[in-house]
Parts: sequence; structure tokens; C-alpha cells
Amino acid sequence: MDRLEDDERPLSPEETLRLIEEQQARTSMRLGGDPLMIYTSWGVAWLAGFGALFVHYAYGSITQNMALAVLFPLMILAMAISSFAQRKGAAGQVRGESSVRGTMYGFAWAFGFACMGALGTRLSPLLPPDESGLLWGVMSMTIVAVLYMAGGAIWRVPMMFFLGAGVAVLNVIGAVGGPGLHALLMSVGAGGGFAVVGVVQWWRQRDRA
Amino acid sequence: MTAPRDLDPVIHAQARLRVMTTLNALGEENQITFPGLKDLLGMTAGNLSVHLTKLEEAGYVEIVKTHRVRTPVTYVALTRQGRRAFEDYTAAIRELLDLT
Repeated sequence: MDRLEDDERPLSPEETLRLIEEQQARTSMRLGGDPLMIYTSWGVAWLAGFGALFVHYAYGSITQNMALAVLFPLMILAMAISSFAQRKGAAGQVRGESSVRGTMYGFAWAFGFACMGALGTRLSPLLPPDESGLLWGVMSMTIVAVLYMAGGAIWRVPMMFFLGAGVAVLNVIGAVGGPGLHALLMSVGAGGGFAVVGVVQWWRQRDRA
Repeated sequence: MTAPRDLDPVIHAQARLRVMTTLNALGEENQITFPGLKDLLGMTAGNLSVHLTKLEEAGYVEIVKTHRVRTPVTYVALTRQGRRAFEDYTAAIRELLDLT
């Protein structure tokens, strides 16, 4: 009750509009979850995982299977961390239409990766080892890019959409350029980009809090 | 300074305006738990309760008490009337600022 009197002070139209805009932005940000867990976890997974693949292609000091054994568990971990962050964050306190949408979106990830697993298992024995690695890398990043773009469209978060579009562009360039270039672009471009975006968003969220 | 005549006096107070803005930002057909709303707004439970009661009396919010597993949970949401009132309010503010 301490600040009730002060809270009742009427605002000027300018102050009112600013308050509405700031509160809308703060709410959207908080509903989006902790950016360090949502974005940076993916960034670190790609930075390390595709970095390991690049080391394999460029220097041959580790095997491809070792690199993929770094990449995929880290991606699964990132997926688990980001969905945990969504559930534990402000969005986890919301029920109704948006939580149904979130559940469907979560299933889309699982089904996407299941399709990738089936296709990759079927096709990779038919390909030379480096091309097989490229196939796994391009397929996994296609799912990420498309679902990030879809997520941005569903929740009207332009940054999420553009991050997905950025990954898609790098993925296309990498797929055409070959395994080494793809691994480098995904590690430094997508991984580094997501890691930085997560930290910057977290910093902005802290300032707004 | 007094509130301009056209502006809804129930909404035209900082705390209630923030509550309405936050509930509106959740989108239609969504409800938020009382603790979730309290955290989003950074208000005390007592303060938020007082403002929610005023908004409920005006017919702008609905408060649903239910159980999740065995724990009692209180959900808060904008009513259709509340959403319309908020839209009218923001339109009136923009008109005052000659933004529309």
C-alpha cells in the first residue's frame, strides 16, 4: 500500500504513451525467456560443435564422428535448456492459447529432428564421409533456421525471424561452399552471432528491469 | 494536473495502466498466474491485489481461482470489455498527441 497514493497521480499523455510502450516492451522481453538460456546456449553449442567439425575438415586432428559427438549432444542440451527457460520464465506462468501454441511449436522441433535423423541415417552411408558430415550439418541448421523464422512469425518477434533468416543464408552459402566453409560459417557466424545476441539481450533486459 | 475528460479514470493511474498494458500484451485468450503478473510488474502482492480489485469492479479483468495438481492457483486475464477499454484509452492518448 506504500506507493498507492503516488501511483494514483495522473500522467501527461506523453508520459502515458511512454509508460505503455516501455511496459509492452518489458513484458514481451520477459515472456521471451532468459536470453542467455534461449540464444547463448544455442550459440555455444554451434560454436563448439561446428568448431570441432571445422577442426576435423581443416586439420584432420579429430575424426568426424568425434566432432559430431560434440555437436549433437550440445544441440540437444541447448534445446533442453531453452525449453526449460521458456517453462520457468514468465511464459510458464501463462495458460491459454499461447501455451498451446508453445507446446505445438515444441513438437515441431522434435518432429523436425526425428525426420532429420531418419533421412541422415538412410543417406549418409551412401555419401563420402565429408559430404555425410555436411548433410547432417545442413539438415540440422535448416530445421533451426526454419523454426526460428516460424517462431518469429508466430510470436511476432522480428529479431527471432531475422536470426533464423541469417542462419538460413549462411546455411545456403555453406552448403554450396562445402563442408569446411559450412562448419566455419555455422561456428563463427551462427554460433558467435547467437552467443552475442543472447548476451546483448540479457544486458538490455537487465537495464530495463 | 487532472485527468483529461475523455480518458478512462480507472485506467488512468500508473499502476493500473501498467497492469492493463501487461495483461493486454499477453494476447487474447491467455491468462497469467497472480505471482507471474506480480513478478512482471515488480509490485507487492498487496498493491497488485488492490488494483486488480478496482479493475475487476470495473469489469476489465477476470480473476479465476482454480487448482493445478493440488495447489490453488489464481489466474488473471483481461475481459473483452477490458481489452476494448484499453484500446479506446490508447486511441484517446494518441489522439491527444496528434499521432493518429
